[in-house]
Amino acid sequence: MTGAQAMIRCLKEEGITKVFGYPGVAIAPFYEGLYESDIEHILVRQEQSAGHAASGYARMSRKPAVCVVTSGPGATNLITALATAYADSIPLIAISGQVSSKLLGRDVFQEADMRGATRSFVKYSYLVKDVDDIPRVFKEAFYIASTGRKGPVLIDIPMDVQSSELKKDFKYPDQVNIRGYKPEIKINPVQLKRVVSLLSQAEKPLLCAGGGVILGNGEEVIRSFCEKFNIPLVHTMMGMGVLPKKHPLNFGMLGNNGKPYANKAVGKADLLIVVGARIADRAIPKPEKLTRRAVIHIDIDTAEIGKNMGPTVPLVGDLKEIFTMMLDEDIRSSKKSWIKELEKVKTETVDERVFSENFVNPNLLVQTLSEKMDDDAVYVADVGQNQLWSADNYIMKDGRFMTTGGMGTMGYSIPAALGVKMVSPKTQTVAVCGDGAFQMCMSELATMKANKVDLKIVIMRNGYLGLVKEYQYNLYDEHYEGVKLAEWPLYDKIAEAYDIKYMECSSNDELDKKIDEFLASKGACLMVCDVDAENRVK
Amino acid sequence: MKGIFSVLVENKDGVLSAVSGLFARRGFNIDTLAVGETDKHDISSMTITSTGDQRTIDQIEKQLNKNVDVIKVRRLAESKSVCIEMILVKAAYNMSNRSSLIELCQIVGAKIMKVAPKYLLLEYHAEPEAVEGFIDLLRSYGIIEIQRTGTIAMEK
Repeated sequence: MTGAQAMIRCLKEEGITKVFGYPGVAIAPFYEGLYESDIEHILVRQEQSAGHAASGYARMSRKPAVCVVTSGPGATNLITALATAYADSIPLIAISGQVSSKLLGRDVFQEADMRGATRSFVKYSYLVKDVDDIPRVFKEAFYIASTGRKGPVLIDIPMDVQSSELKKDFKYPDQVNIRGYKPEIKINPVQLKRVVSLLSQAEKPLLCAGGGVILGNGEEVIRSFCEKFNIPLVHTMMGMGVLPKKHPLNFGMLGNNGKPYANKAVGKADLLIVVGARIADRAIPKPEKLTRRAVIHIDIDTAEIGKNMGPTVPLVGDLKEIFTMMLDEDIRSSKKSWIKELEKVKTETVDERVFSENFVNPNLLVQTLSEKMDDDAVYVADVGQNQLWSADNYIMKDGRFMTTGGMGTMGYSIPAALGVKMVSPKTQTVAVCGDGAFQMCMSELATMKANKVDLKIVIMRNGYLGLVKEYQYNLYDEHYEGVKLAEWPLYDKIAEAYDIKYMECSSNDELDKKIDEFLASKGACLMVCDVDAENRVK
Repeated sequence: MKGIFSVLVENKDGVLSAVSGLFARRGFNIDTLAVGETDKHDISSMTITSTGDQRTIDQIEKQLNKNVDVIKVRRLAESKSVCIEMILVKAAYNMSNRSSLIELCQIVGAKIMKVAPKYLLLEYHAEPEAVEGFIDLLRSYGIIEIQRTGTIAMEK
């Protein structure tokens, strides 16, 4: 058995049926192994997309997903996707080919030090020098990626290691024993008691759910917790979907791009329960102010406690376990008057933004689209104004809302949505991007066609890099520099070139009809919606 | 405040750079660093000292703990630990101050490793403050060259 064959065996042991990749010489032995196996390889059009597609796949399947690249530029192209996955704690296994082990460090053709280059963007990385290490390394990599706070793991394998024969019989380890990595955290009973006692004393508790709730498969238990003890919820952008938008306890997304009433709720609460959120600048610009009230911080990652916010009452552990335990505790339900107070704030908040009548109102677009989408549909938002309009207006039902919240990587939506579709081909999936982000990933339309994926893509077209333009409007006296995209490409021609259905929507009046047609269309469809370049998020 | 960390790590390539990279990436400062193999060949021991506010020192400990190649992190209290640094130094002398230099070495317990025509090569190890003080005293003689290790520390 060769190293490459052993790699394939390991992937099969982990239940991997699809990998996203882009081949090259240094990973060619592995591709020979793929050729002989029944693992499906999805050829993307640029390595970064392999990482994003695997990210979408991992988020949808809730398991680690695999991307494969060659050495040098193939590997460095992947780094942005790894950084994106790391920031959002998405479990990925990235396999990169490497030059022959005898040539390492000599700057030969397509050599890049991937372990060094990715050090701050992966949970862990391996450079495999001994072919017999392959089973252990893969077992560990999948374990590290999918336990504790999840994240990407890199396996860099020189091509001679892929080609050489195993000296020992292949045996996939049953167990992992890494002395420096023990992700199972025993919940501290004393801390749990403190948390329960704080909850019982609180008059106005508010739960703030982050992306960790979804990563920890904790939506249901959090929902039961909120409902049982009548605790209202706000969420970060990555925490969207813990409660449906119309749930009476859901008070929306907080942060400088969120709902003003969500932020007001934070201000009014006497106890904030932060769950699976790092409370970075976008969610709470001045976290130190939070400490005026009691804050409980629940996270699986000890290092998140006190990183951006403190002091708090920390509780470290698996949130599903924690909240399942808390459901059995004797906690006093919060009063109806607290919810009433928040409802009042919500109804009193008036949206004063004005959107021009001659274009598509992006808020209305997202509302109408998400209202009409299937209950279990997946919506993948890109980065830019489109992301913020999406997060602000998306009507969450029982589906998923995905986006890159930590890194904010443009060009995420289409490849990630492709990954989602590869897990669940029948799930209605819509990628929404701006005309800037679209141009960063439009080459993946070919991947979409080649794999017969019926993805629906919405482009909010305003001819600008809108969010930067908005920034320049706010901070630099409307000195618009480097943000005009102009009228190209001709999107109808792009759609034609990739042989996909094309639609355009340029006014609010046609939105209803066009969205119906768009969602009902067979196969992939690209719909361009004209948004006024003067429209701003705030 | 000062943080003294005694860290056991996997003795393999890339670990030192991963640990130092962790400090660099998050803007933490390494004041001193000493690394060496332990009695087990596959485990190295690092002593890292750093200064920062409470949050920084807490974060260093937590981030070190997160690193897969870090087996154990211990935060040592300065008052409850033995901390030692070592220096090798070439101290210049002339006929008029030679005996006072030798006397100084005898008082503090510095070893004379070599007597050269114009300098003494000295070895001295002590707590970091004492080392600092000795270096200060040597300045009046003239320091030609100095090599200083990082702190190594152990709980009493």
